[in-house]
This record gives sequence, C-alpha cells and structure tokens, in this order.
Amino acid sequence: MTDQPPEIPVQSVRQSLFERASVVWLVPMAALLVALGVAWQSYSDRGPVIEISFQSAAGMSPGETVLRYRDVDVGLVEDVAFSDNLDRVLATVRLDKDIASFVDADAQFWIIRPEVTARGVTGLDTVLSGVYIEGAWDGEPDGLVVRHEALGDPPLAAGGQAGLRIMLNASPGAALSEGAPILYKGIEVGRIGKPGLSDDGVNAQANAIVFEPYGKIITTATRFWDTSGFTFSIGTGGAELDFTSLASLIGGGVAFETIVSGGRPALDGAAFGLFADEGRARASLFDTSEGTKLNLTVVFRENFSGLAVGAPVELEGVRIGEVSSIRGIVDEDRFGDDAVRLLATLALLPSRLSLDVAEFDDPLDYFEQRVDAGLRARLVTATILTGGLKVEMIEVPDAPIELMDLSAEPYPILPSAQSEISDMTATAEGVFQRINALPIEELLVSAIGFLDAAETLVGGEDVRQVPGDVRGLIGDVRGLVGSQELQTLPAEVSALVGELQLAAADMRIVTASLSEADLVARLQGAVDSATAAATGIEISVAGVPELLTSLTALSDRVASLPVETMIAQVNETLASAEMLFASKDTQALPGALATAMAEVEAAILELREGGAVRNLNQTLASAETAAAAIETAVAGLPSLAVRIETLVERAENTLSGVDQNSELSREARASLRDIRNAAKAFESLSRALERRPNSVIIGR
Amino acid sequence: MERVGITDPVLTARDAGLVGCRTCARAWPMGTEVCPNCGSRVVSRSRRSLQRVWAWWLAGLICYVPANIYPMLETRTLVHTESSTIVGGAVELAAHGSYGIALIVLVASVVIPVGKFVSIAFLALSVRRISRASPQARHGTYEIVEYIGRWSMIDVFVVAILSSLVQLNAVAAIQPGPASLAFALSVIFTMLSAQAFDPRMIWDGIEIDKAGRE
Repeated sequence: MTDQPPEIPVQSVRQSLFERASVVWLVPMAALLVALGVAWQSYSDRGPVIEISFQSAAGMSPGETVLRYRDVDVGLVEDVAFSDNLDRVLATVRLDKDIASFVDADAQFWIIRPEVTARGVTGLDTVLSGVYIEGAWDGEPDGLVVRHEALGDPPLAAGGQAGLRIMLNASPGAALSEGAPILYKGIEVGRIGKPGLSDDGVNAQANAIVFEPYGKIITTATRFWDTSGFTFSIGTGGAELDFTSLASLIGGGVAFETIVSGGRPALDGAAFGLFADEGRARASLFDTSEGTKLNLTVVFRENFSGLAVGAPVELEGVRIGEVSSIRGIVDEDRFGDDAVRLLATLALLPSRLSLDVAEFDDPLDYFEQRVDAGLRARLVTATILTGGLKVEMIEVPDAPIELMDLSAEPYPILPSAQSEISDMTATAEGVFQRINALPIEELLVSAIGFLDAAETLVGGEDVRQVPGDVRGLIGDVRGLVGSQELQTLPAEVSALVGELQLAAADMRIVTASLSEADLVARLQGAVDSATAAATGIEISVAGVPELLTSLTALSDRVASLPVETMIAQVNETLASAEMLFASKDTQALPGALATAMAEVEAAILELREGGAVRNLNQTLASAETAAAAIETAVAGLPSLAVRIETLVERAENTLSGVDQNSELSREARASLRDIRNAAKAFESLSRALERRPNSVIIGR
Repeated sequence: MERVGITDPVLTARDAGLVGCRTCARAWPMGTEVCPNCGSRVVSRSRRSLQRVWAWWLAGLICYVPANIYPMLETRTLVHTESSTIVGGAVELAAHGSYGIALIVLVASVVIPVGKFVSIAFLALSVRRISRASPQARHGTYEIVEYIGRWSMIDVFVVAILSSLVQLNAVAAIQPGPASLAFALSVIFTMLSAQAFDPRMIWDGIEIDKAGRE
C-alpha cells in the first residue's frame, strides 16, 4: 500500500506531455480557433463609422435604422446623440467596408419618411419598417469623410439620377412649389426644388432639374410656364375650363416648350423665367428672348403715382423694356433738398435696338452717346382712363447738359426730363368738364316726365283691362276649338268618306256584275226588239189615218152620235197609252204614237170644227172598209202584245240577276211593268175591237 | 481519518483487488483486461479521465459563449425581422406576460447548462482536491448531471420544430440562428464531459485523503 503512491509520480514523469494529453483536447482547441477566427473576421469586416448630423432624429433608432444607397442597405445607425450645444442630432452610422471609400465629401444624406402629397405617396414602405437614411454619392472613391451634414429634404436628383440643373425665376403670377413636376408634353421630365428668394429679394426662384435624357430639349429658346391651378373663360366658343392635370391643379407644376428653333443648348445652371401661363410664355419669346437685360436707373424729380412695375419703357416710340422696380428716395446730399424723388429701375433689352457688336461693344455706350445728344427719360401718361404712366426716352432739344452717371450703384443713372403728365391731365379735365356741362339734369327731368306719362297710360283702367279681354278671347277660342262638335267633325267627315267609299265599292260591284252578265248587250238587244216592235206598231198604225178618215166620215154620217164622248174616250185611251209609253226605255215607241195621236187629234179637231162634215157621207161609205182595215190592223195587235210580253219576260229574267235594290233594276222593272200594262191594254183594245169593231166608231 | 460527513470507511473495488466492469457492473479480479461477461474493456480507473472531462468541458464552455451572444431565432414577418437571443427571448416572453414559458426557457437554456458546467467543474476539482462534500453527495450530483444533461436539448428542439413549422413564405418565417448550433454543440460537449468523468474517482479521493492523512 505504501509503495503504490510512488509509482504514479514515476509514471507521470516518464510520459511526455504529448503522450499524457488526451486527444479530446483537440475539440476545445478547434472550438477556440473557430471562435477566434469568427471574432477576428467580424471585426475585420466592420466598416468605418461616420457621423451624420440631422436637424431632428425623426424616428431614427439605434440598431434599427439603416443607411441605404440605391435602396440597398449599406450601413446601420449605431448611436443617436446630440451635438455639443444640442442644436443637431448626430447619428453614428457603421458603414459597410466596401462602400466606405465612396462616401466622400460630396456624399449627401437625407431621411426617407412617408409622405403624402398631391403628387402621390412616397416612402410607403417606411410606414412599417420605420424611417431610413438615404445616401447618395458618386462612383469615384475619393476617401472616407467622417462628418457629414444631412440635407433637410431629399435632393432633386435622388437616386443618382443625372440631369440638367437649371434655375427658374418666377415672374409675377407664377407660383413655384417644391417638388412640383416639370412636364413636357404631359410627361414628367423634371422636378422643382425648394423655392427661395433671389439674392436681391425681387423674385422667387428655385433650382430645378430636368432628368436625362430630356435635358437636351432645353435650349435658350425654351420657355417655362406655370400649369398649376386652372383657367376658366367664357367666350364666343362657350365656357372653357382648362387645367393640365389633377395633380398639378393641386400641387402645382411647370411645363415648357421650345417655341422657336435656333436656341443654343442650355448649360448647367442656366436661368429661365417662369411665366404665369402659356400665353405669356409664348408672347415673351418675342419680348425677352434676346440676350441679357441692361439695367438703368432714372430719378424723376416729380413723384407721381401711376407708375407701376411692368410699365413699358419706350425709346422714341419703340418699346425696349419695362420698369422693374420703383421706390422713393430722399437724398439731401445728392439733390440738395429733402424732397421725395421717384427712383425707377428700368430693365432694357438692348437687342431690341439691334445694338450689335458692330458699333457698340456695350449698349451703355449707345445710351451715353444719346444722352450727350439730349436723350432724357420722362414720365408720360400711357392711358387717360387709368392714369397709368410709362417711361419715355426722348431727345429734349434744349435740355440742360447732363451726363449719365455710370458709376452709380447699383445701376447707371439716366438723366430725366420734365414729365408730360399735366398736359394730358388737363386734356382729360377738359373732356370731363364738357361732360359735366352737358344738360344732364334737364334731360333727366324730361325723361322722368315721359316716364310718368307712360306710367299713367299704362296705369289706365282700359289698358289694364286689355289683358283680361285678351285672356277671355283666348278662352273663347279655346272653348270653341275644344267643343264637342268640332271635336267630332273629323269623325263625321271620315264616316261620310267611308260611306262614299262603300257606295263607290257598290257601284263598282254592280258595274262589274253588269259587265259580267253582258247586261248592256242584252239591254241593247231588248231595246232593239222594242224598237222593232214599235216599228211594227207604226206600220200597223200607218193605216190609222185612213181609218180616221173613215171615222170622220162615219161621224159626219152619224152627226147625232156623241162624237165628243167618243173622242174623249179615245183621248183618254191615247193619253194613258202615251203615259205608258212615256217611259225612257221605250222612248221611240211613245214618240211615234204621240205623233200619230196628235194627227188623230188634229183630224178630230178638224172634224169637230166642221168642214169635214161635207165628206161625212163619203166617209161613212168607206167606214165599212175602214172597219175592215182596222180589223186587219188590230189583228196584228195580239201578236204585238205577245211579243212585248216575251220581251218583258226576257228583260225581267235579265234584270233578276241584277241587285234587286239598285236603282237601275227598280227603274227597269217599272219600265217592264209599264210595257206589260201597255201590252195588256193593247190586248184588251184588240179584244174590244174584235168583239165590237164598231165601238171605235160609236165610242163604246 | 475522522472527516466530517464520512461516517464509515469505504472499501473500494480497487482496495479489494478487484476491477468492476462499467457496462455490466460485474467485478473481476485486478488485471482483467476484457470483461468475460460482456466483452467490454475493463480498467480499474479510466486513464486520462479528468483530461477528457476538462477538454469537453472547455469546448462546451467555448460553444456556450456564442450560444448566448448570437440570436437563437430569427423571426421574419411581413413587417420586420426580429432576432432574439436566448436570454433576450426569455426577457421578451416575460415582458409579454408569459412568465411560465419564460421561466421554462430560462431554466432549460441558462440554469441547467450553467449548473452543469459548475457541477462538472466541481466534481473534477473535487477528485484532485480534498473536498468538503461527502462522496455520496458528489456521486448524487454526478448522477443528476448525467440525467439532466439531455434536457438542455429542449431549446434546440423548440427551435427545430418552430423553424420547420413556421415557413409561410413572405408572411412569416422562423429561421434558426447561429446560436442554436452553438448551443446544441455546447450541450453535446457537456454531456460528453459528464460521460468522460469516471465516478469511481470520487471514491479514490477518500483513499488519497486517507493516504494523505496517514
């Protein structure tokens, strides 16, 4: 037991450290090496720290807010602190190592935060992720600069955009608004920076950028105008509302156009005027396109109101510029008294006078020379109505010797002459006096009298009633027009026309059926046969005169016989026969019969009046013969009647096909009846004659 | 000989001229090289046991440093990316009111590993030095360390499950951070360290102590 302990130390001494060491020791070694390696690598990869000072931290938080270049994270804010006097916020930013050398003196930094403007929403992603710092620098590694001043607002050419930088000077009425787009034919080609006042405080101006490749559109002949707001005009073409876009209506905007060719390409930093509208911009091309302005100062001894900025400046009637500013001046040392003088600054365009390099190197030389010859500036009335003044440069022949003060500050002073305002005012006064002297009161009095009379007339009871009467008249007319009768009149007319149409249609049908049945031809035939019958009658009656002669003789012979009665009977018979034959269809027959009867009548008359009595004996003698002849003649009568009967029957048959109600058929039927009656009469006559042939003679 | 806490003298296997098999717990006469029972190598005391304990212990400690510095989880949502370390995550959970979960995370990821480091170091030191703690207590400690070691992996499991479950493309995604690997290594190394420790040396100390006293 006691020898055991010494063995162990002997063993440990004999074995070297290497042999004694366990192989497991390699594990912590490796772990240590890896840890050290990682630590060294992350340390060596650490970029440098820069310090950016801001106006306010605006949501920056250490360890979270990143620095971005072209939207790629290139750094991280490690610390946010105050500057020594607490007026700035200093953000310590750990840069990426490989980007560090590019962050040189011209690097720019600004904060991107969400912004909602009329032109849209920007930086929306920062709503969720928080603000970040955007950096911009060029691609030239010029060495790290540690301290930087952040911009208050994003620069014009954010994101490394290249473009033409110009300066816009706003003219009166034109508005510059920060961030407003520059539009060219509706395309946004540029942007306006933050506006500020020009150095002399006269107008507003702003830097602007026109992005590549649009920069080359801008030439010296390019004109810019304000497109913000809208214009509303009413003219002969109707009302017109004009605005460029909704965005520029609210947020403002600038458009431009290169109106004439021939301009030189604009250089970086070129200055342009910004006009209130397109019309003025276009008009300005012919006003101010030429070269630089020459500024002159004129001190007017009188201090007139009415001279305004923008008033024209004319040189012997040619407009060469305008008044750019006016102010009063009191300078006792210079003018010898303490009166207020009017100091006007004139902006002249020497190119208007074609003062080229040929003769005068400096336009001032020209004016100097002219002043020597007596050129003076004076105020004249531009318009009588408004009393506006303009500056006129004119040679005053007897002007006191005066020279241009070329050394005056800020601009050379052009001597002035007595203004010509009072004359014009006097003229105007004269005009007004004459207007004043016009008998306006009398005119008004008579006008009032006329109006009174007119009022009385109009106010009279009769005149007042006129409208009522007119209204009553109109009411009557309206009642008439609206009455039931007039209303129904058209209906009746149309009913009548309808009936007429129906009748016409009936006629047409009858005609059609008539022609269809060959009625006309058959009627013709009937008439022909009737004529033939009549002819037969005539022939048979032809023997009647002889009979009558015999009758006369007979009556002479029997003087006592009641000839009158007999004659009346005959007359009656004949009249009825005449009546029977009077109808239209058998015209020919009755005509002949009537003639025959007339002869009989005449004969009987002759007989009655005497003269014939002498032949009575002779007549009676031949009466027997006559009676026989009558018998013969009458013998043909029954056959005639039969023929007529046949004819009538035939006609009736024909007519039965015709419409029973039609006028024609009625008439035809009546005719047929008459004919039949005639035929019956003939029959009875012939029978009577057959029975008693002498009845003709004796009248019974 | 009369030490505080030691009531009875302990007879070790070595004292009895025996060597125990650590695999099947069978005791053999001293000098046996291979356990006839189970075929394992049999040594009375593992050679360089303490060296291996210390080496694994150191490796585990080295790994434990980045495990706490670097983020364990990287939670990326639509809005922003958030990476949290072990302690930071636990603090955040507590700040959200989940004290229970925060406690679990803190115990599993901080208390247990740190406790293991301390315990192993204590055990390893107590073998060489005279310890005031009883061998029984130290052995109990060893058993606890060995048993509880695997539970430290719970953190790694949570990370693995989360990062495999929460992969919703752009909306939300959870990625294991570099600390998860370091932490897993640290746990593995401490377990190996605990395993490399030969608990029989606890009892040797008594003999040394005894020998020293005698």
